[in-house]
Amino acid sequence: MHSTTPPSTTPVPARGRFSFDLKDLVLIVVLGVVFGFLYWALVQASAGLTLLMGPFGDLSSHLLFGGWLIVAPIAVAIIRRPGAGILAEVIAGGVEVVFLGSTAGPMLFLVAAIQGLGSELPFALRRYRSFSWGVYACSGLLGAGLAFAVSAFRFGWYGQDFFVIRLVVQLLSGLILGGLLARRTVNALAKTGVVDNYAIGRDLPTTGGA
Amino acid sequence: MSAGPLPWVNTATPLGRRNPTMKLAVLFVVSFALLFVFDPLTPALLYPLALAAVLIWGRPSPRMLLLAHIPFLGFALGMLMINAITRPGEELFTVLGLQASVEGVTLGASLALRTFVLGVLSIGFVFSTDAVALTDSLHQQARLGPRLCHAILAGYQMLQDMPGTWQTIRQAQSVRAPAPAPGVRRPGIREFGHAAFSLLVVSLRRGERMAQSMESRGLGLAPRTVWKPIRVERTDWIMAFGVLTVLVVVLGLGVTGGWIRGYSALWG
Repeated sequence: MHSTTPPSTTPVPARGRFSFDLKDLVLIVVLGVVFGFLYWALVQASAGLTLLMGPFGDLSSHLLFGGWLIVAPIAVAIIRRPGAGILAEVIAGGVEVVFLGSTAGPMLFLVAAIQGLGSELPFALRRYRSFSWGVYACSGLLGAGLAFAVSAFRFGWYGQDFFVIRLVVQLLSGLILGGLLARRTVNALAKTGVVDNYAIGRDLPTTGGA
Repeated sequence: MSAGPLPWVNTATPLGRRNPTMKLAVLFVVSFALLFVFDPLTPALLYPLALAAVLIWGRPSPRMLLLAHIPFLGFALGMLMINAITRPGEELFTVLGLQASVEGVTLGASLALRTFVLGVLSIGFVFSTDAVALTDSLHQQARLGPRLCHAILAGYQMLQDMPGTWQTIRQAQSVRAPAPAPGVRRPGIREFGHAAFSLLVVSLRRGERMAQSMESRGLGLAPRTVWKPIRVERTDWIMAFGVLTVLVVVLGLGVTGGWIRGYSALWG
């Protein structure tokens, strides 16, 4: 008689250290899809701005840059697990490339991962427990800064006269759109109650919804 | 998933039959290699080759191909102009007090042409790849987790409804908004923000319902089997090998001919 145990046929949830619940994953994807769509709509609408600025149209992208960052802090604040911000950015970038037919190319995945890392780092350093204005602001600044370093290499901004202007505009945009607007959005979302069933809902009384 | 392919996707072509992950990987390698090239001639040689390959094997309608060029045409022009006037160097001409330098124009042309090469290759990818097949392929070839793939497919379906949802929200807003005097006020950034927040809330709610119904059907569990196996065929390897050979030959020509320039080109 052999006594080897038969392979278990009972399905078990597959979970590793960095794996998310299906519910959390769907939330991250939904955030990526919504912001991918909104950004796409915004780009269509703001093409006029680029035209208006003539030869400086290339600079206008820095004004709206923070819009790219906003998805990471929102995902981190709602799910409060390591990697949520990076994953959300990469998925939002993927939506742009594959589903909405952006021609920026697959380098967008790499840039998205790096700026997601920048946006997530301040939250990670506070162990996903502090969600004050300061942490959001750092998140916006760091995300914009890291992304700037990569883009500067890609598009050869080093050695241009406008290098400092580009950097300052992008950092400000990151601070305002990617940091402070993110916090406003998260608080407004928490008030509506749609995210009550996620990690943010469990911590709501202490961190304050408003 | 009942989500069909997007209207511009045509998979009944030689390029459309290639493995999606393989196509993405090739695109990634070419993009990465071109990051380090800063002379105009190398991308100028690559662009017609890439365009020909996409036209022959991807068979997009010429009109769609032309339309898809518009976004990065603007981007490339902006890149050319900003580099022309913001780099110190030998004066080429002066317009409206802005001085264009030879070095600036050369570098700007290089970056603009790079945009074209990567743009046309990306068009080839986007026009020949079905999003559902890509997700399946990423799961099987790139070992993307099954739950992430389910989530992405759910998001894909939601994205297809999104223009409709967006329109509904905007219409509901304009019905309730006070009627403006004729020609006075177009919806501004404030209305955009309100509509965006509504879209976010509606989508999050829908996403949570989707996740619940997926979990109740056992979609988050392991072990799993695959319904439609997607394989990497010999043709896929031939495609990858062919593209990389062309890339290496063009880069090699630049090295032998002495016109290729690396990152140092930024400082003249």
